[in-house]
Amino acid sequence: MPSLDRPDDFQTRRAHLKDLSDDELHARFWDLANRIVQPLVAEARTHTTPAVERSVLLRMGFTGAEARDLVNGMQARGLLGCGAGKLVLVLANAHHLTVREAGLTLLEGRMWEELGV
Amino acid sequence: MKLSPDKRIDLRDVLDGLEDYRPRRKGWHWRTPAPDHKVGPFTYRNASEDLKNSVALPAAHAFGAIDPQCDFVITTEIASGRFEDDIRRMRMAAWHGADHLMVIRTTGQSHIDGLIEGTPEGIGGIPVTRKQLRATRKALDAMEDEVGRPINFHSYVSGLAGPEMAVLFSEEGVNGAHQDPQYNVLYRGINMHRSFVDAAEAKKVMADGGILQIDGAHNANATAKEAWKVTPELLVQHAINTAYSRAAGMAAENIALSTVPPTAPPAPKLRLDLPYAVALRDLFKGYRMRAQQNTRYVESDTTEATVTHVLDTLISRLAGADIQSTITPDEGRNIPWHYNTIAGTNTARQTLMGLDGLTDQVKLDMDGELPELAREIKERAILMMEEILDMGGYYAAVEAGQFVDSGHYPERHGDGIARDPAGGSGAGTVVKRAPRYGAPVCSHFGDNVFKDGDCKAYGGCSLCNPDKIRYVDELDPLDNVGERLKVPLDERDRGILRPEVERHGDGMVCVTLFVPAPPDVAEAAAIDMALHMNLKNPEVISKRVLHPAEGSVFEIKGVLDVYIDTAFLTLPTKVDLIPDADIEAWVRPRHIHAVAATVGEDEHSVGLREILNIKHGGVERFGLKCHDLGTSISVTRLLDEAERTGARVVLMSTIVTHADVHKKNMRRLADEATARGLRERLVLVAGGTQVTDEMAKECGLDAGFGRGTKGRDVGSFLVRELQRRGN
Repeated sequence: MPSLDRPDDFQTRRAHLKDLSDDELHARFWDLANRIVQPLVAEARTHTTPAVERSVLLRMGFTGAEARDLVNGMQARGLLGCGAGKLVLVLANAHHLTVREAGLTLLEGRMWEELGV
Repeated sequence: MKLSPDKRIDLRDVLDGLEDYRPRRKGWHWRTPAPDHKVGPFTYRNASEDLKNSVALPAAHAFGAIDPQCDFVITTEIASGRFEDDIRRMRMAAWHGADHLMVIRTTGQSHIDGLIEGTPEGIGGIPVTRKQLRATRKALDAMEDEVGRPINFHSYVSGLAGPEMAVLFSEEGVNGAHQDPQYNVLYRGINMHRSFVDAAEAKKVMADGGILQIDGAHNANATAKEAWKVTPELLVQHAINTAYSRAAGMAAENIALSTVPPTAPPAPKLRLDLPYAVALRDLFKGYRMRAQQNTRYVESDTTEATVTHVLDTLISRLAGADIQSTITPDEGRNIPWHYNTIAGTNTARQTLMGLDGLTDQVKLDMDGELPELAREIKERAILMMEEILDMGGYYAAVEAGQFVDSGHYPERHGDGIARDPAGGSGAGTVVKRAPRYGAPVCSHFGDNVFKDGDCKAYGGCSLCNPDKIRYVDELDPLDNVGERLKVPLDERDRGILRPEVERHGDGMVCVTLFVPAPPDVAEAAAIDMALHMNLKNPEVISKRVLHPAEGSVFEIKGVLDVYIDTAFLTLPTKVDLIPDADIEAWVRPRHIHAVAATVGEDEHSVGLREILNIKHGGVERFGLKCHDLGTSISVTRLLDEAERTGARVVLMSTIVTHADVHKKNMRRLADEATARGLRERLVLVAGGTQVTDEMAKECGLDAGFGRGTKGRDVGSFLVRELQRRGN
């Protein structure tokens, strides 16, 4: 879409705002701001990214490099939507491993076939 | 680790035991207000608690060496590329009143999709890593104890690794961070879907960790062709990031709006900048204001930059702020130097102390044009938000180039920054969460089958249980702090000193030269002169034409490739002063007279009064009977009075040094006293800004005192000298 080129028509455009009180104007400002971010928030609530998932694995006790390799592996297998942390936790519980042991097992290239089942 | 004010920080101590170091607190710290705070002769109205250790402002000596602290947090940005050098600068900044130390990231870190480890060197900032954060936090914790005030550590949660950075910051006790997905989108070319999804997670982690967020709206100021026209959009950008942060769970008091007064003189700055400042504060009540000084127009003239920054700070005081961030006055010409970082910090500190209590007497006129102009900016912002929604929302508006257009909205010039919602770094990496998506950690945003605290089942996540944090030391055997410190630590151990502005041993110096010729000739000559001074790679970093024909002034930087071995330095011997009470106990009963005057054709009287006058702590308080003859007194008259009063002491002040007249007068005093047979009886003392003890003795006097001398220095000397002579 081409960008706009337009003269300053503020006086015309403001017709619907000029009689608002300051409080009404401020309320309108915040209502518009919330309406703009609403779909962005909804997308964030229902989506994830490699960085989000790596940050989850960091919190679960992995280094940045370990988290990266785990997430890359899950992404390549189309599993990221399950949640990297959950995948590792479920694997750990199934095999009576610690979370870290489960992650390191995956990093050794083992048990990937069990993920997401 | 404990710091001692008379010792340099030992970087080996900083690096020792980092694998086990834990930050002692999390979250932001505001200064503790001190209402009606009495410091020295004054009662301050916008002050916070005093520091235990600090370097006071230069004029403090005239007010009892006080160092009051303002109520705003003061920010200093540091960006040398080596955190080990930054740490030393941070300590200097903390002693000058900075309590928000912002570390700039190395060029390109935004585009690294993951974390960096170790301590590699950066360009224009440091690669932010766990080790660098931890080492810096550890050093800052020791500095907090030294200055007696908590210090906020700050960096950036942006780029492709925002959520991980936020976790890292929370784990390592970083207290503040820039976080604004719009910055990624507009200025870093990072995919917009990725930026916003990442940002929600990062904000949630920051919110729970009490990390203060600073947004990125001010960058539109620095980018827009006519910055003062972008003010409606600034309100829109602030609003988008603020509303998004609230939705992610951030408390209003942890959201700071980064606001920069958009103009600089010769623009009518305050008249243009105040309406925006007022509009912002009206609309964002309850949020924090991070007032930043303007960097848009800073080029090479540090004085010009400083004046603009003083005016920016005046706006902060008039309109209100919580943080006053500073820009170094040399930012336009190089990566900031140590002493310019301190100069920038002092600009804020000095200005804010000078403005203390101003708003009790001076207020913005809210009955005149100001509220009308503020309202116009608000309405323009609202119109822009309405159009964003009409266009189909934020992503569509960015795609259409709605942001950072140089037109005064609704005017559009078609030169905004347009980005493709499907393009940019990290495009295509956003994944829909499956219906049973899970993240078994705390501070996670969005749909999740787990809730905060469920991590207990596996021993707790790193935010609950810091033992879970995995510390990585170094990955690169060559590019690391241990290698970089070999030479500096060795030189330090051997007592080797080199000048520096940025990094240990860089050898950089700056000379100021006025050359009386037209600009081109003058500049070529100035560079040649610098080469004659043995400066390597001389480079003009500032030039100002004082007159097109009469001359220009240049600042030239260059490397002074020499080192000094401190073992061979001759230091002036420090004299242990006799305690005041002992001086008085010896002097008072002896009824000793002294004659004093400023000699020659010299009307300076302040220095001598400081030495004599009882009110200034001068020698009169010891009981010395002083006869001050005044200024422009001849040596002959001075000695006449010494004879007439039976004085034992002559105190001669000499400030003017033109044609070495000060030395001539000193010699004349010695010679004439000898010729008149008075030399043995009289203790002859000279004082003045350019006088040294060595110089005075060379001229035949008994002692000389220079700048900074106090009455007790002179009193202590006189007692010892008179005792040496047998009474």
